[in-house]
Amino acid sequence: MKLDPVTLAIPFFIISILLEILLSRLGVTKANYEVRDTATSLMMGFFSSIIGAIPAAAIFGVSVWVYKYRLLDIPMVGLLGVGAWAALFLLEDLTYYWFHRLSHERRFWWAAHVNHHTSQHYNLSTALRQTWTGGVSGTWLLWLPLSFIGFPPAMVAIQKGISLVYQYWIHTEVIRRLPGPIEAVFNTPSHHRVHHARNPRYLDANYAGILIIWDRLFGTFIPEDDAEPCRYGTVKNLGDFNLLRVAFHEWIGIGQDLARSRSPREVLGYLFGPPGWSPDGSRDTSHTLKAKWQARQAAQAQASAESAPMAAE
Amino acid sequence: MTWAQIIQIVSVAGVVAMIAAAWWAKIPRPTPELDPARARDLLAVEFPDNPINDLWIASDGAGAVARSGTEALVVYRAGDGYVARSLSWADALIAPVQSGHVRFRFGDFAAPRASLAVSGINPWPPQGHQAGLAA
Repeated sequence: MKLDPVTLAIPFFIISILLEILLSRLGVTKANYEVRDTATSLMMGFFSSIIGAIPAAAIFGVSVWVYKYRLLDIPMVGLLGVGAWAALFLLEDLTYYWFHRLSHERRFWWAAHVNHHTSQHYNLSTALRQTWTGGVSGTWLLWLPLSFIGFPPAMVAIQKGISLVYQYWIHTEVIRRLPGPIEAVFNTPSHHRVHHARNPRYLDANYAGILIIWDRLFGTFIPEDDAEPCRYGTVKNLGDFNLLRVAFHEWIGIGQDLARSRSPREVLGYLFGPPGWSPDGSRDTSHTLKAKWQARQAAQAQASAESAPMAAE
Repeated sequence: MTWAQIIQIVSVAGVVAMIAAAWWAKIPRPTPELDPARARDLLAVEFPDNPINDLWIASDGAGAVARSGTEALVVYRAGDGYVARSLSWADALIAPVQSGHVRFRFGDFAAPRASLAVSGINPWPPQGHQAGLAA
């Protein structure tokens, strides 16, 4: 039996989703499930596990090859092993943060990741809406330095699996806030709701895997504001529940843009610019959406300030 | 039976069970039919910088079209959520009506088309669209 945390967690995924549905049906908890949305998320996850297995062996092989040239011999077991696991926990989580940030802020990698954000729901099934094109996007390269340092590839794979399983349970609206110290250090349902929100104020935030400290450190942390409930999905939601559309729509969009590109600058912009980049700035990026939102907020505040004295009169 | 086969069988059974549970539970978000106030609220969220000149609502309340200058802002229901896209008002006016639905095309693979219900008292193009729509 493989010691793969994600595989071992499959029964937990199934039981917890059934429980979330049942308890919401009984009115004990509050979660919404739309049957086509749920089916889309689950089918994306199921086929992701099959499609992902194809490059997984090759990726692991590359990790083993890199490990041959390692700088250190890091043990997985024993007293030193405990320290090694602690170090790997931090380093892998830091790697995940940058992988995740890259996957949101640059279109080529966003194309592989966007499908995870296409549900307009935020429930446990959303966590399983996984990519089909992660292998070809090459983001696995980001984990190779860990093997080069000397962490055994199996150890890295296990830690990646632990991180993925951790991130499963935070895809829920059932848990509102956890105690302060936990919210301060760990990625929680509240923090991750913000990450999945399409409200302009919440865009491009909370990239954490397990520890939210990276977002706090690198300036991408935004707390959930109860005054502005999260609206889930992408800035431009998908028109239906077609699996192929979910998996490939951004790749097709890139292809269409590249076909009409007129210069190397445009090619690079469409590929590696932020999602929504266009040569003439006619489309919206997260940055422009946030700027417009801030301008509206400022205008509203000014209008309120101007009307206040009149109201007093 | 191999470990991989067991995983696949458990996964398939689990997927079927979870979809069946979601179908049985019937706990989607409530999506009442759009009326002018709801449609305007929705449009304000989806197109916050676009003033609404005129508004047309699909006869089944599952979508709406607003004119904003030379743009047509379209919102329509998908599942228990909404999708928003825009096209030129001129293109919207000549959108074909077939089988009781007006069909808009957006040229966007992510949301290629919208199909909104029309009726005799709520036709497309809307009556008086040159001067303004009656919502």
